[in-house]
Amino acid sequence: MTHLPGLALRSAWNRRHTLGLTLIAIALSVALLLGVDRVRQDARASFGQSVSGTDLVVGARTSPVQLMLYAVFRIGEATANMSWAGYEKISAHPLVAWAVPLALGDSHRGYSVVGTTRDYFDRFSYGAGKKLAYAQGEAFSTVFEAVIGADVAQRLGYRAGDRIVLNHGAGDVDLAEHSDKPFIVTGVLSRTGTPVDRSVHVPLEAIEAIHLDWQGGAPIPGVAIAPEHVTKFDLRPKAITAMLVGLKNRAGVFRVQRHVNELKDEALVAVLPAVALDQLWQVVGVAERVLLAVSAMVVAVGLAGLVAVVLAGLNERRRELAILRSVGARPRDIFFLLTLEAMGVTVVGALLGVMLLAALTALFAPLAASQYGLVLEPRLIARSELALLAAAVGVGILASLIPGYRAYRLSLADGLTPRL
Amino acid sequence: MNRAVIDIRDLRFAWPGQDAPCLDIESLQVEAGERVFIHGPSGSGKSTLLGLLGGVLAAQRGSIDVLGTRLEKLRPAQRDRFRADHIGFLFQLFNLIPYLSVVDNVVLAGQFSARRRAQALASSATLRDEAIRLLADLDLGGALLERRVTDLSVGQQQRVAAARAVLGRPEIIVADEPTSALDADRQSAFLDLLLHECDAAGTTLLFVSHDHRLAAHFTREIALHGVNCSWRERQPA
Amino acid sequence: MRCPTILPILLAAATVAGAADKPDYKVGDRLPQKPAAAAPAAYKETPWDALVPANWNPAKEFAAVNFGSLDDSDPRAIAALEKLREAWDNAPVVPALNGTRVRVAGFMVPLESHEGLVREFLLVPYFGACIHTPPPPANQIIHVLPARPYKSDREMDAVWISGVLETTRAGTDMGNAGYRMKAELVTPYKR
Repeated sequence: MTHLPGLALRSAWNRRHTLGLTLIAIALSVALLLGVDRVRQDARASFGQSVSGTDLVVGARTSPVQLMLYAVFRIGEATANMSWAGYEKISAHPLVAWAVPLALGDSHRGYSVVGTTRDYFDRFSYGAGKKLAYAQGEAFSTVFEAVIGADVAQRLGYRAGDRIVLNHGAGDVDLAEHSDKPFIVTGVLSRTGTPVDRSVHVPLEAIEAIHLDWQGGAPIPGVAIAPEHVTKFDLRPKAITAMLVGLKNRAGVFRVQRHVNELKDEALVAVLPAVALDQLWQVVGVAERVLLAVSAMVVAVGLAGLVAVVLAGLNERRRELAILRSVGARPRDIFFLLTLEAMGVTVVGALLGVMLLAALTALFAPLAASQYGLVLEPRLIARSELALLAAAVGVGILASLIPGYRAYRLSLADGLTPRL
Repeated sequence: MNRAVIDIRDLRFAWPGQDAPCLDIESLQVEAGERVFIHGPSGSGKSTLLGLLGGVLAAQRGSIDVLGTRLEKLRPAQRDRFRADHIGFLFQLFNLIPYLSVVDNVVLAGQFSARRRAQALASSATLRDEAIRLLADLDLGGALLERRVTDLSVGQQQRVAAARAVLGRPEIIVADEPTSALDADRQSAFLDLLLHECDAAGTTLLFVSHDHRLAAHFTREIALHGVNCSWRERQPA
Repeated sequence: MRCPTILPILLAAATVAGAADKPDYKVGDRLPQKPAAAAPAAYKETPWDALVPANWNPAKEFAAVNFGSLDDSDPRAIAALEKLREAWDNAPVVPALNGTRVRVAGFMVPLESHEGLVREFLLVPYFGACIHTPPPPANQIIHVLPARPYKSDREMDAVWISGVLETTRAGTDMGNAGYRMKAELVTPYKR
């Protein structure tokens, strides 16, 4: 019996052109199946760890998921802002321990610009309560200074001390630049695996300063205010996009939330971040399950293709099987031979799929991070994916029994002299 | 007196679903070392007889005694093993596995039978060496051994098959029209080689063919349609 | 041969079936306080009512007001509602419960959640407490820190928490009174 695997290997190699196609089909389908699960898990991890230690996120009234998306994940744009007065009123609530304003909407070469205060760097946490740390430098102190995230520094090659220029409006397009007011990078943050890495943080006053000679998104012709004169103007912001709130007593979160929701002079919404994320996953979860089911079907189709190819080839192999019978092979040996062939293709195809996915992950990780905020961990296979892989290979092994059994029956019937 | 290597009595075989038996032999014996020429028209039961002797078919009635073993008393797996150990087969066409090399095709016989493997190793150090030795006996050697079997001529292929059939010295060789696909001038040469190998080992040879010109080489001639009673009964009166 | 085509269907069915259905709660649902079959004896099963002091009745001020005759927008109704809410926000705790080992069933509102593991949450008596309905009074919210992060896969899981209940001291700031627990056990609530 020990020679049977060798025979199966030679036989499969002999038919490598047809079997090769099914091998590729299986590899692709396994890569798809594992890939769907990987994106699913990594998305939850990336988004789930983007904010921690914040009790409420407050912004202009919109859906909680929408607010989280643009305020925390920096995806999409806010349609309306909240007033500075609203910010101050909420900060004054007796239960509020700290409040950090965020002003979004500007961009620097595709990366979000966030106007905020120095408090942001002390109060913001991510993951399991991790705080922000500096890889270089420190926080900003004057108007025209910036602290940049790890991705921005790496991809654009900035270091502490460099000068950068900001555009108006989010996006990569070089629209109206504010080139007369350059910023000095005072600090570069260590990598967090969150949207912080893709952001450029500047003081709130800086956002106002940049827009001093702008109106409705374009510079006012004939008006140009030099940077050194800017500080003479009132740079206190009139509106911000959102604010992060921390409470003295976390159990009081519902009270403050209700307080914000019921403010009479402004339509605001206060969101519990963890709850909003749960809502997001509920919605997304349906799509995820459908995708997973579809991928599973694709794998099954690939395996069915393999089984069909091997079965189709059986007819022309009846003479070959008769020769093996004549030298003493039992019908059981024939069964093992054919089953081993199909099983071998399944296993090799699955392994190829795993490697293909690892390569694709490594290739697309930077794009996913910068465009979608999705941090794809570069790895060969994750533990959760092992179960899926085992299931796919398991089904493949079961499927391989089909041509084995058919060959067994054929060989029994044909004996030494198949009637072709 | 030589013990019969093959002793068939009251053998009856019908294909499933058929009433009339395909094979009905009262008595047939073959002695050790005989060279038997079996002939008969199509439908006379040649393939069936080979299948029964090889143990892939089981008769409904009667006994087949081969080398002292009653085949009808064995289980299918045991019959397969018996065939592997004691009988070498040679067919008319497509004798070789296309994805194995020339030498590996010959070695196949030793991989499925421990007994033949042991006997082969009595003559050579490894199975491969023995295979190469037999191929040399049959005028095949050198660069030919590296060629794909599909690149060989029919005559060369048949000689490779013959090497496989004799590897490990099985007591019986069953050849089913091995020369029918060869050119007329090659047939004799091939037969000579085969008979030479059989004589060297004292092998009993059962040679099925429709070509009477070859009958002269054999010690005995059996007309299967004469022995097969059911053939006579199936003929229109 | 028809066998290969069954495979895709089987695989798809298995996947979808794996996303098994769990009982759905509606906004305002409370968990029936049935006697638990295998309750660890160390913890006393405590209904939500026990967390409210016996003599606390914020609605008693309005006993005289006939709400049935008032409009929704009547200033008296609005004022009454405001007062009620204020009372709820400052609801007192039961000091005797401080340090007791209790077991409470409720719905989980996550505060810190990381990779599907909830590390800090609020336990409330009814479903949807933060979405559509007015939030519960301060003495009906428990701020929970589980000993081990709890694996949560849906919105507002129904759970049993077991541990030592603490009452936080009311400070000079409003609304600092409340219940806390470092939960030793957090288990799913089965209907």
